[in-house]
Amino acid sequence: MTSLRSRLGVGLVASLVVMIGLLWLMVGQSVEVLLEQQMASRLAHDGEALLGGMRIEADGRVHLQGRRIPGIYQQPYSGHYFQVEAGGQATRSRSLWDVMLPLPDVGVGETRIDYVTGPQQQPLLLWARGYRKQGRVVRLAVAEDLLALNAGIAQFRWQLAVWSLAMVLILLLIQQYIVIRSLRPVSAAAADIERLEHGEISALPEEVPKEVRPLVQAINRLLDRQRLRLHRSREALGNLAHTIKTPLTLLQQLAREKLAGCDPDTYEQLDHYSRQINERVNQSLRRARLAGDGLGAGRFDLEKDLPVLVDTLNRLHREHRITLRTQLNGIINLPLEQQDGMELLGNLLDNAWKWAASTVSLALSGPEPLTLIVEDDGPGVDAAAMQSLAQRGLRQDENLPGYGIGLSIVRNLVDEIGGEMAFSTSESLGGLQVKIHFGPRT
Amino acid sequence: MRLLLAEDDPELSARLVRYLARQGFAVDSCADGVETEFNGRETAYDVIVLDLGLPKRPGLEVLANWRTAGVKTPVLILTARDTWQEKVQGLQQGADDYLTKPFREEELLARLQALIRRNTQTVGEALSINDWVLDEATQSVSRQGERWELTGIEFRLLRYFMLHPGHILSKSRLTEHVYEQDADKDSNVIEVYVNRLRQKLGNEVITTKRGQGYVFGKLP
Repeated sequence: MTSLRSRLGVGLVASLVVMIGLLWLMVGQSVEVLLEQQMASRLAHDGEALLGGMRIEADGRVHLQGRRIPGIYQQPYSGHYFQVEAGGQATRSRSLWDVMLPLPDVGVGETRIDYVTGPQQQPLLLWARGYRKQGRVVRLAVAEDLLALNAGIAQFRWQLAVWSLAMVLILLLIQQYIVIRSLRPVSAAAADIERLEHGEISALPEEVPKEVRPLVQAINRLLDRQRLRLHRSREALGNLAHTIKTPLTLLQQLAREKLAGCDPDTYEQLDHYSRQINERVNQSLRRARLAGDGLGAGRFDLEKDLPVLVDTLNRLHREHRITLRTQLNGIINLPLEQQDGMELLGNLLDNAWKWAASTVSLALSGPEPLTLIVEDDGPGVDAAAMQSLAQRGLRQDENLPGYGIGLSIVRNLVDEIGGEMAFSTSESLGGLQVKIHFGPRT
Repeated sequence: MRLLLAEDDPELSARLVRYLARQGFAVDSCADGVETEFNGRETAYDVIVLDLGLPKRPGLEVLANWRTAGVKTPVLILTARDTWQEKVQGLQQGADDYLTKPFREEELLARLQALIRRNTQTVGEALSINDWVLDEATQSVSRQGERWELTGIEFRLLRYFMLHPGHILSKSRLTEHVYEQDADKDSNVIEVYVNRLRQKLGNEVITTKRGQGYVFGKLP
């Protein structure tokens, strides 16, 4: 699995560890070098002081003025040592006791700094220089124990390591926070896409950070293209239906005019077949519409679309005033595209409108699973007709005047969306009750 | 009754024109949207049959333009598109009824008659004024058991009178609603037909208001 977050995290940790590690090394090294340089310059000062207080006897012996020698050089193994050599004779500090320093062979005016091992295995920094004093060559070495310094440096390195580690951790936390924050628009876009899928919005909002915008725009463009394609194919189907239905009208009217009187059998058959053609065309059109579901077309909105539908029904049935009682129970959408919702409720309510005496009721409950009940106070249907209504794949014909066509369209629609449909007699109103269970949302 | 039929299929259009003329309508027909819109706006039709799939300008647009321009003529949409979505769209644009193809001519006629009656605020199934009952199916009129057959123009004229009882109807208005566009319009012909109706049904059935026109039934 590739995760941008972990990839960014790993990259940052690796680069941080390398950077901070290098920094740690460099700082440690510099501190060590600086301190040793400081020590070396102190040793040089001590050396110069020793040289200043030194006198060479005629026999070549070196005489050091005791009061010029700091006390630390007098304590045995104090860690501060010196050694002077002139004319093959060596003079040592008391602190060296009977140990000799490995005095390097430096010429006059030459300085050397060495790491050597002193008494009691002490690691020493040794400063040595050759001089000419009173016509003689003098080699002077001053040394100091590095142990304390090294311990200090080691401690400093430890502390530095701990702080560096803490810094890496803090930076890592900050980085994770930034990554999560900057990836938030991506998760927001994912949520938007889901809403799009459920038809709650029809396009992705484009007010997103610059980096995500091309993606969102690309999706919207794709959506538009798909929608346009769908629209065109629906339009083409609609036009096909139009071109088929006009000749079909002519066929039916001609048959009725020429045959109904003299050859009723042939007329009946012709009429039946032309009805079948019409029914098939309608069915294909509905299928094509349903196949386009999930492209972000709006859902049937009960607050917006239902009043328009009811107004239309009132216009169509102007002579027959009906009161619609609705009980929506807070449900705002049908799990259907607006067009399909219109088709379903239009047919259901139109049927109820036709048969009702004065009242139609529409009740919804849900939302999961959603149930829709339409009732009227009309004469209702008898048991035999009820059974024939309940049959699957009811033919779209007129053996049930009025109840036939509309309800069989609803039946097909419900079948195609995987729902259930049941008929009974309304308990409260006495007419037909149609109950639809919508299948689980896919 | 002056009727505008907007249908782009020439055969269906010709058939409907013949049928509707037999039923006593003065029918003008149009085959494209632009012409339909113009005619619907310029002529005082009693009813319009509008196909939605018209060339040049879609039927829904034509309808919307009429309604914005204040044309109140009742419109029946005749279309192959039979979804409720389209039905709702059509009626929200201002149509008064909706009929889908394929349809029976009788169904179209019944819907048109209902529309006209609704528009002239006449209630009931048959057209009946002061004991006069007009039978639209047989194009005859009856009163207290007596029946008179009517010729085509007589029927058109009497129906228009009976749909507007008590109104003063001028000769030109009667001509406009009884004859189609291409007919030879001579308003004196109306006088001839009014006289024929009087001869058949009695002088008192139509009153002349000098200089203004004719009135069916009692004066208001």
